[in-house]
Amino acid sequence: LADEALANETGVDLLLTGAYSALDGIRNNQGAPDWAVSGDNWWFDVISDDAHKGSTDGDQPDLFALEIFDWATANPYIFGKWNGLYAGVNRANAVISLINSSEEGDLTAKLAEARFLRGHFNFELQKIYGNPAYISDENYAATEFNQPNPGPIWEQIEADFQFAIDNLPASQDDDGRPDSWTAKAFLGKAHLFQADWAPALALLKDVIDNGPYALNTEFVDNFNAAGENGPESVFAIQFAADDGQSFNGNRGGTLNFPGGGPFNPETCCGFYQPTQDLANAYKTDGSGLPLLDTFNQSDIANDAGVDTNDTAYDADTKTYDPSLDPFVTEQGPLDPRLDYTVGRRKIDYNGFGAHPGKIWIRATFGDISGPYLPKKNVYQAGELGNNQGTGAWGEQRSGINYNIMRFADVLLMAAEAAVETNDLVLALDYVNRVRNRAKNMTYVQARGAEDEVIEGTPAADYQIEPYASFASQDFARKAVRFERRLELGMEGHRLFDLRRWGVALETINTYAENEARTIPNFGDKFRAYEPKHDLLPLPLNAIDLSGGILNQNDGF
Amino acid sequence: QDGSVTGIVTDSDGVPLPGASVVVKGTSTGTQTDFDGNFAINADSNATLIFSYVGFATQEIPVNAQSSINVSLMADAAALDEVVVLGYATQTRGDLTGAVSSVDISEATKAPIVNAAEALEGRVSGVSVVNNAQPGGAPTVRIRGFGTSNSNNPLYIIDGIQTDDPSILNSINPADIDQMNVLKDGAAAIYGARASNGVVIITTKGGGYYMDKPRVSLEMYTGFSRAQNLPDLLNPQQFGDVIWESLQNDGVPIEHPQFGNGPTPVVPSQLQGVPASVTVRPEGTKWLEELYRTAVTSNISATIQNGTESGKYLLSMGYLNRQGIQLGTGFKRGATRLNSEFKISDRITVGQHLNISFSNTKGDGTSRVQGAMIINPLIPVYDDDGEFAGTYLAGAQLGNSRNPVAQTLRSADDYRKSLRVFGDVYAQLQILDGLSFKTSIGGDIQAYNDRRFQPLDPENAESRASAQLDEEDFDRYEWVWNNTLNYNKSFGEHSINALVGIEALSFRRRGKDIRRTDFLFETPDFYLLSTGTGTPIVDDGYDEQSSLFSIFGTANYSYADKYLLTATVRRDKSSRFRGDNQSDIFPSFSAGWVVSNEDFFPQDALVSRLKLYGSWGQLGNQSLPSDNPTVNISELGETFANYSFDGGNSIRTGAFLSQVGNPDLRWETSESTNIGVEFGLFDNKLSLNAEYFDIVTKDLISRDNSLISTTAIDAEAPLVNLGSFKNTGMDLSIGYQNTTKGGFSYGIQANISHYKNEVTELISDFQIGWPDFRGGAVTRTAVGQPLSSFFGRVVEGIFATEAEVSAHADQGFENPADGIGRFKYTDVNGDGSINDDDRTFIGSPHPDFTYGVNFNFAYKGFDLSAFFAGSQGNDIYNYTKIFTDMPSFSNTQRSVRVLDSWRPDNLDATIPRLSFAVPNNETQPNSFFVEDGSFMRLKNLQIGYTLPDSIVNKLGLDTLRFYVQGSNLFTITGYDGIDPELGPRDNGNDNLTIGVDNQQYPLAAIYTLGLNLNF
Repeated sequence: LADEALANETGVDLLLTGAYSALDGIRNNQGAPDWAVSGDNWWFDVISDDAHKGSTDGDQPDLFALEIFDWATANPYIFGKWNGLYAGVNRANAVISLINSSEEGDLTAKLAEARFLRGHFNFELQKIYGNPAYISDENYAATEFNQPNPGPIWEQIEADFQFAIDNLPASQDDDGRPDSWTAKAFLGKAHLFQADWAPALALLKDVIDNGPYALNTEFVDNFNAAGENGPESVFAIQFAADDGQSFNGNRGGTLNFPGGGPFNPETCCGFYQPTQDLANAYKTDGSGLPLLDTFNQSDIANDAGVDTNDTAYDADTKTYDPSLDPFVTEQGPLDPRLDYTVGRRKIDYNGFGAHPGKIWIRATFGDISGPYLPKKNVYQAGELGNNQGTGAWGEQRSGINYNIMRFADVLLMAAEAAVETNDLVLALDYVNRVRNRAKNMTYVQARGAEDEVIEGTPAADYQIEPYASFASQDFARKAVRFERRLELGMEGHRLFDLRRWGVALETINTYAENEARTIPNFGDKFRAYEPKHDLLPLPLNAIDLSGGILNQNDGF
Repeated sequence: QDGSVTGIVTDSDGVPLPGASVVVKGTSTGTQTDFDGNFAINADSNATLIFSYVGFATQEIPVNAQSSINVSLMADAAALDEVVVLGYATQTRGDLTGAVSSVDISEATKAPIVNAAEALEGRVSGVSVVNNAQPGGAPTVRIRGFGTSNSNNPLYIIDGIQTDDPSILNSINPADIDQMNVLKDGAAAIYGARASNGVVIITTKGGGYYMDKPRVSLEMYTGFSRAQNLPDLLNPQQFGDVIWESLQNDGVPIEHPQFGNGPTPVVPSQLQGVPASVTVRPEGTKWLEELYRTAVTSNISATIQNGTESGKYLLSMGYLNRQGIQLGTGFKRGATRLNSEFKISDRITVGQHLNISFSNTKGDGTSRVQGAMIINPLIPVYDDDGEFAGTYLAGAQLGNSRNPVAQTLRSADDYRKSLRVFGDVYAQLQILDGLSFKTSIGGDIQAYNDRRFQPLDPENAESRASAQLDEEDFDRYEWVWNNTLNYNKSFGEHSINALVGIEALSFRRRGKDIRRTDFLFETPDFYLLSTGTGTPIVDDGYDEQSSLFSIFGTANYSYADKYLLTATVRRDKSSRFRGDNQSDIFPSFSAGWVVSNEDFFPQDALVSRLKLYGSWGQLGNQSLPSDNPTVNISELGETFANYSFDGGNSIRTGAFLSQVGNPDLRWETSESTNIGVEFGLFDNKLSLNAEYFDIVTKDLISRDNSLISTTAIDAEAPLVNLGSFKNTGMDLSIGYQNTTKGGFSYGIQANISHYKNEVTELISDFQIGWPDFRGGAVTRTAVGQPLSSFFGRVVEGIFATEAEVSAHADQGFENPADGIGRFKYTDVNGDGSINDDDRTFIGSPHPDFTYGVNFNFAYKGFDLSAFFAGSQGNDIYNYTKIFTDMPSFSNTQRSVRVLDSWRPDNLDATIPRLSFAVPNNETQPNSFFVEDGSFMRLKNLQIGYTLPDSIVNKLGLDTLRFYVQGSNLFTITGYDGIDPELGPRDNGNDNLTIGVDNQQYPLAAIYTLGLNLNF
């Protein structure tokens, strides 16, 4: 298709669709594997305290190097993500440039969509790399892609979101398109990342008070097919498991299913395993509140280093009788969100039966992956059909949406801004709305001798209550931050939260020490989080290809 | 007054030539020599006799009232008055003023070659050829170094058909070739815009006028080939020891699912923890030996030629079957050719060339060598039930390499089939004495299709979920029409040969690639797109077109065979460019002085011939990886641009920009200067030719990766005029041929070539090569450096002590102890810390010189020839070591070199301390991977025996020769990789990344037994 052929409304639609398609990071001439460019940011959890890479240490050695903080500027994950995001920026620029040079009808709403998308891609670049180059639509039209990176590009990001607020309709026919409320929430988030608390709060509060969003009754509906585009979804990557080989499924998350797990055919590849540290965070005290300071002084019961029990698990029929498994699960009080976030032994795994332990874990005990399985990104039983996409070697390409932002996130961001502006009452309200939903949702049920669900019997001693009050701003801050982790764990946000709070170095190094209790090799293999790790380095290829125009981040 | 003339016609060795034709010039009177070379003919005493014989230079001898004339005909290649085909026109060798080299085809085709370009290897100075060892692959031909940063393929002219697609050479039967000439300098300017990479002109045999009867020749050979120089890999015990040492060094518990948890690793008798019963071979599986086989090769070709005074023809048929040394691969070709020419009247000649070939390349075209080099030696090829064995599951820790034997056998029913028909028809009209007109219409049509089926592979840890079929096909049409007017006249000592012409050329290729999954049956009968059940996916659909229109002229003038002048000019107009950039003019001039023809030159001196010559010319290059590089192109993208706005299955179509156009793109222009000298000594028995050249390429066309940088769209970088570079060098060839009185004949032909490549101008500071190696680009092209130099850190040694680590620049170790046993890098910028700024140029892939030497000996019926070729002084980036010498993947096989890794008791180790991880950027580009790539190889050794005439004649034959032959019998090299003769990356379209060894297909030694028969 030549430029002339696209210079009309149909062309705008085609290119705009192409820009949405870049939300998952998959592009032409990718230069990195799908999982490195993934739009759901799963591997940023791996370099936080929420997740391990998973699988064996030697599988995807480049990600292993990231997890243990042995970062090389030539790491293909660092390069792939960069490239994929700029492809998104420039696909949006293609639309913007075309509309700006077109004389056809009123395309302002399309322009606003394109600018929203560009804002999003630039936001991602900003939070990951800190000092990205800004490519404008004029640069795009003139093929001037080699631009300097003098520093943050917040102004341009805000301008795009503001334009979207001003020009997008208040609602859209297509669930996948942003409306003006979406743009407000994103602009609020952009302010939040810059600690501009008042404007952040104003925008987010407006979205909460006047916007169309609400919390789903069921927490798990954020992660299953049935709940796609429900009231809680603010902006999601619309994944679809189209027929045959799925190009619109979640290709970036393809490794993140249990290796040899419960599916038929067997899934791959055992990546993205939650940490012991994350599991510990869900411990609650007798009054149903989290152990903000002490959660990681002891570990919840786990089966690290323990094989699947041969008596309980029949390898030939692949059936598991949890009642015969001598392993004892954690008996203390737990936040019920744990078992929608972390796959634990003997606990129901997304409806596929109880997790039998090691046999569903691809890693060996010598690897640093631990005993847990991811849950939020994995199908629920009964939803395989239309949502189980496949690729060339049979890998999973889930058709279930990934929420880039959901309403619980909006509430907690607003709560954070409220804390920082010392409106503790408002903050308490927002946090408790999130906690109450978790309290009132359906809990994961226990599994019986035939591995059947025992209705009415929760799988663990779930205890969760709202906070009665926030005694101080410090306490409130701690509570809000902790709540983000509990609510949004394994959703790709944690690392960026730690960074903007300025606590990443301390948090991650402490986590590494504690994690070694469960995973003996972890301490030996983990190096150290140093100040330079607060940003990803710019990829070596980007620096080289720019011929000295781009400057490397400090420390690399 | 009529008289009878008798005599004998022999070759230069005095061997009688039976069946040579003798014609009285200007008449239709003619005869042939008998079996002993005798002839008798009636001719005027002032007539001139023309003696001709296929493969020999025609001679004209005035009778001058003699009654007996004995003639010795010279083999073509040695003759100064041999007619050299230069495309539109011909010239006698002695009159050449440009750098034109010819291949001694009869010598070159002694080796069992598949592809005609192989005949160039080492036999023509200034031409480098790298064989593609994969069956059916096209060799890479480079003339005088690297002239461009993209496609460096020379232009091939085959009987008037033009193409820069080297695969056309796979469609020709080498036995059909009469001449193969290479234009290396301004002489190529007659081909203007397509000539800057040089021109290879191939003419095929066409029979001869005045033959007494049809001549049939038959060539057959059969033999086998075997992989050479396979690397040494670890046996299971060594493999376990390496794992133990790595775990120990990493300070983690020493245990492994296969090797147990004892103090030393125990090689299991069965694979542990896998869902099949799999016996481990005690000595391990030698995967390379399993992957490669002794492969059969056979060839037969038959040629018939004949001619009367008014017509001549050649008909040939050939069949080649070459199995690949890799299991399940092979190449088969059937080809037939018909060339004919007729004299319709005294003034009109018409003729045609037609070549039809069908080839079938078996297999999916993937070299499995890397898989075979890294697959775990514990895994056998088959399990105890005879099914393929594999890695099964990650927990078994058997590495990540798929069973390469399974892969290659499963693709054995894949094929690539090509039917190619090309040729021309032409007519020539003699308008006036010396003035003739020729018109020629040529066509090249190809129908291609391939099939690739990927069945399930359940033995793998990451097995396929569904079988998949890919089918691709395309049709290709190319036509060329040219009209030339030729004036050829001598006035006393002056001789003029001039030509003007116009030419139009059009190219079109249309094709598609479709894929489908979910096949219920895995037998080749069901390998049809219609038997899959998944949704078909159209991977690609394309329609490429380009055209070229040209006007050209050339004039040669010579005076008294002493002074030679040539001027050529061509104007080309190409569809690939826009506006003023569409057309350009390419001139060239050359001159020669045959000093030995001067009166003052001593006639009986040592030097019998001395010629000085020189040329200057401008040449173009328009061969690009894109047909319309000047415009933006967006694509609809099922895989990359569609989106579902409701998260469900209603997918909407999207588009993305896939090509950024550059409207200002111009031709690439080379300015070529050549100075040469030619000596003949001892009656031309010793010939010597030396040339100096200087080629400056301007407006180099390349993808500008710096322009597009990494912050761009998902299109490839646009093509721009990137800069300039310069190749200077020398070509030297020497030949000596002699026959002793005792009938012992011997000769040596040697050539040596040197070039120096330097980038003189770039639009950016530097350009990097292909960026997608693990660790990033390994080559960099910068001003003042040769094209594609290796760029990385410099390894000084390996740290032995903490003190040494502490004393050295900071390499980022957490504590000094972590640095022990690790590479020590040079602090290039001297800032006390090692990072990306400490990379520098660490080697060049360009050789100091390349050479070829051919020896031949003959005595009585025996003949022997030996041909050596080699390269000296080039570096190779042995990228494969990232996998074989470094722990890039866990539990994968390693080279035995890792046994020499650093230990406290092995301080002068070559490999760093073993580990399961790759710390310290050790697989990123650095000098450890740069090796000297020099080699010398015996390419061909052949011993033949020709039966004496007394026996042959009784059998009713003219000649019968048997031979045994061996190709690639040995190689002398210090290079660690499989083969120092590297193929190019990306089919030679990426000249910013050369000299990187990645997945080289091993070279095969070929042994054949053959016969040549003529009657």
